[in-house]
Amino acid sequence: MGLVAREIERQGIATVSLSIQRELTEKTRPPRALFLRWPYGHPLGEPFKVAQQRWVLWDALQALVTVRAPGTILDLPYPWRKPGPWEGGGELRGKSEKLKA
Amino acid sequence: MKLHRWRNRLFALLFSRFPGLTRRWLKRQRLHDYGPPPWVPLPKPLSACTIALVTTAGVHRRGDEPFDMADKEGDPSYRVIPRHTPRDRLRITHDYYDHRDADMDVNIVLPLDRLQELADDQLIGEVAPCHYSFMGHIDGRHVPRLLTETAPEVARRLRREGVDAVVLTPA
Repeated sequence: MGLVAREIERQGIATVSLSIQRELTEKTRPPRALFLRWPYGHPLGEPFKVAQQRWVLWDALQALVTVRAPGTILDLPYPWRKPGPWEGGGELRGKSEKLKA
Repeated sequence: MKLHRWRNRLFALLFSRFPGLTRRWLKRQRLHDYGPPPWVPLPKPLSACTIALVTTAGVHRRGDEPFDMADKEGDPSYRVIPRHTPRDRLRITHDYYDHRDADMDVNIVLPLDRLQELADDQLIGEVAPCHYSFMGHIDGRHVPRLLTETAPEVARRLRREGVDAVVLTPA
């Protein structure tokens, strides 16, 4: 997947990649990536956990703005199947300051 | 179903359960060094960007040709997923990870509904007209085909469709 990201970026479109396999991401080196220590098949979390999925997607989009160094991999701190900052309706707007590259 | 597909699925369950196995396997693989990543900055604020999704989770529309599960080196082709495809028309063909949860809610590998909500909230500009899906298990002779044919083709389509940024999701 890192290779697809590189090709899209090479053609002039900014990309951000989610990763659940850090070693593979380190080797293929996509322009921007966010690593989650979550099981395969669950890059956005658990089924039907809308707030959690939206939170992670917004983290990824924010990285398009905050990451400045090509090849950066951000480690997201969310443990699997534990409550996260998205609980209680998590307001997305303005949360960008919390995630700095 | 053929025996080798059951074997692949069994391995997928094992690898999902014990991620350390994959790490050990990866360490033994000698992957080509692709060099420093290419880079373009985001051209405008997110609230003005058209965003597309590209996944390697093997998602495709029912009725589209499924990804090839018989070829041991995988399948470097891609499928187009128009933004308004009803979610119950999507299915996953990919024996190399456990997709039972994604079968229930495709958003955990291809967050189409979440992206639409961000557009409704005006946090992003627009959802792109088309999204793209690969099958992530690509090896051997199919890697050059991915690099020289199918990935460049998807990138060209995204450009034509006015996409400003892409979120890629693995499986």
